[in-house]
Amino acid sequence: MSAMTTESTASPEPAPSAAGHSSGSHGRSLPGPTFIRVLNSEIIKFRSLLSTLILLAATAVVVVGFGALSAWGTGQFANAASRDPQAAVRAASQGGDLAISVPTSGIAFAQLILGSLGVLLMSSEFTTGMARSTFAAVPKRLPAFTAKLAVVMVVSFAVTAVSTWVAGLVAVPILDNYGLKLDLASSESVKLLLVNSIYVAAVAAIGMALGTLLRNSAGGIMSLVGIFFVAPIAFQLIPGDFFKEARKYLPGNTVEPLTAAQHVPDTLEAWQAALVLGAWVVIPLLVAAVLLKRRDV
Amino acid sequence: MIEANGLTKVYGAKTAVAGVSFTVRAGQVTGFLGPNGAGKSTTMRMIMGLDRPTSGSVTVNGLPYVKHTAPLRQVGALLDAKAVHTSRSAYNHLLAMAATHGIPKTRVHEVIEMTGLDAVARKKAGGFSLGMGQRLGIAAALLGDPQTLILDEPVNGLDPEGVVWVRNLVRHLAGQGRTVFLSSHLMSEMAQTADHLIVIGRGRVIADAPIRDIITGKGQARVRVRTDQPDRLHQLLAGRGASIEAPERELLEVTGLDPRAIAAAALENQVMVYELTPLTASLEEAYMELTKDDVEYHSLPAAEVSK
Repeated sequence: MSAMTTESTASPEPAPSAAGHSSGSHGRSLPGPTFIRVLNSEIIKFRSLLSTLILLAATAVVVVGFGALSAWGTGQFANAASRDPQAAVRAASQGGDLAISVPTSGIAFAQLILGSLGVLLMSSEFTTGMARSTFAAVPKRLPAFTAKLAVVMVVSFAVTAVSTWVAGLVAVPILDNYGLKLDLASSESVKLLLVNSIYVAAVAAIGMALGTLLRNSAGGIMSLVGIFFVAPIAFQLIPGDFFKEARKYLPGNTVEPLTAAQHVPDTLEAWQAALVLGAWVVIPLLVAAVLLKRRDV
Repeated sequence: MIEANGLTKVYGAKTAVAGVSFTVRAGQVTGFLGPNGAGKSTTMRMIMGLDRPTSGSVTVNGLPYVKHTAPLRQVGALLDAKAVHTSRSAYNHLLAMAATHGIPKTRVHEVIEMTGLDAVARKKAGGFSLGMGQRLGIAAALLGDPQTLILDEPVNGLDPEGVVWVRNLVRHLAGQGRTVFLSSHLMSEMAQTADHLIVIGRGRVIADAPIRDIITGKGQARVRVRTDQPDRLHQLLAGRGASIEAPERELLEVTGLDPRAIAAAALENQVMVYELTPLTASLEEAYMELTKDDVEYHSLPAAEVSK
């Protein structure tokens, strides 16, 4: 043993700089995990996963692709309507301006992909064991949760907004071919783009809450699909006024009242819809944050 | 310095750690020895604020881990070689960890070089061998240049060269005055690395002694004490620095005081003692004995396996 001790003290090899660093200070005044640093760490984590970048690219492709398809379909429909009086009536009953919602026609898929991304970013921390490193570095835990939430929501908003804008740019010349006008700078277009992007960011936040609560990727994504895709259909199929009423309060049914020019029957008022969507985001996040703080990692 | 005081963790019906108290001092390598499932990892997770103790407390350098303003600069831990996102490269993992404390990129490169990860730093951590994973975990522990290092089974899966490297590294770090606390289930590994040993079994500390005593066979003996005032005597002896377990009512198992000192303490305070038995087994024997009864996963003798 003594031989080993002499050998290792003599050897300059392991931790050479460690000695230099620590001799003066004891780490008391050195920087710790402020929110900005934790946010920076979460950004590094976000961009260093290939799967995350693939999901973002997939979102862009789907939103732009559906925008183009929808522009073509809408053009065909308008064409038919101009020759067929019956179709013209149908077109008129849909509010007249068909082209306006073309750029946001892929939102249903964007919310599924980015909602799943929200789930995965947190659930994978737990399934891979990364959570131990994360919460050892940030033992107060909530700064890491908030920073990750900020990254998820900002990226979801930005990717949706940019993809929707590009979808609009792609749709304009296609619609033009059929004699339909789409003004991307109109206040209505801007409102649709912003509301839908905020909505997708909200879905991603709900996904992250689910990933934090369940700590399981498959379970989180299935719950998300249940809330956004299965429940609206199930609630419609189940007879009775209760489910008809409850259906309005599902998060997926808040976008229509928020974006419609006038109130649509059988939906909430715009202000109610905003509150309901807000509650769907805030309540699961609060529960997730409290449990994340309390549970063992 | 790490100080645990009555640290207890209960999972449902299972008590993983049952009121352990110990002190890990700076400037030496303290081994944490116990069979698999003895509560080593749970104790270390509680030190790091990842698991919340059911009762009791633990501090590092005088503060609970969670209260430190720069925790990674106080304590570096390898808790689990797989505490890494499998799809992220080793370099990006370390970079993200460093970013939380404003640790510069140069330090990331330093720890990569120190742990010999240069060749694989840009590869996904999920593809690492267990040994590479251990090196990455050690690199992460060293990032903040901490005064205290906690390493859970660091030599698991390392090749012989790696084992020697870890041994030299922890001895070097302790030589700089740092606190090094490392766990293992192998007595032989501890004998070559540690200065001081804390042995844990069934969630209790069963020995807390300098390694010299163990190598020379003078394992710090336990003393069995029966008294009709166990709570009072517990308090008295704990005040004299003994670590005490109470396996049954009226029975205490005392480590760290000899029978004479215990008797003197009892007499001074008029506590009646009706049994005082030195348990003379050496630590090695005690450890083997414990391992035999306590391992979570038993295996069949070779003869039966081959049948």
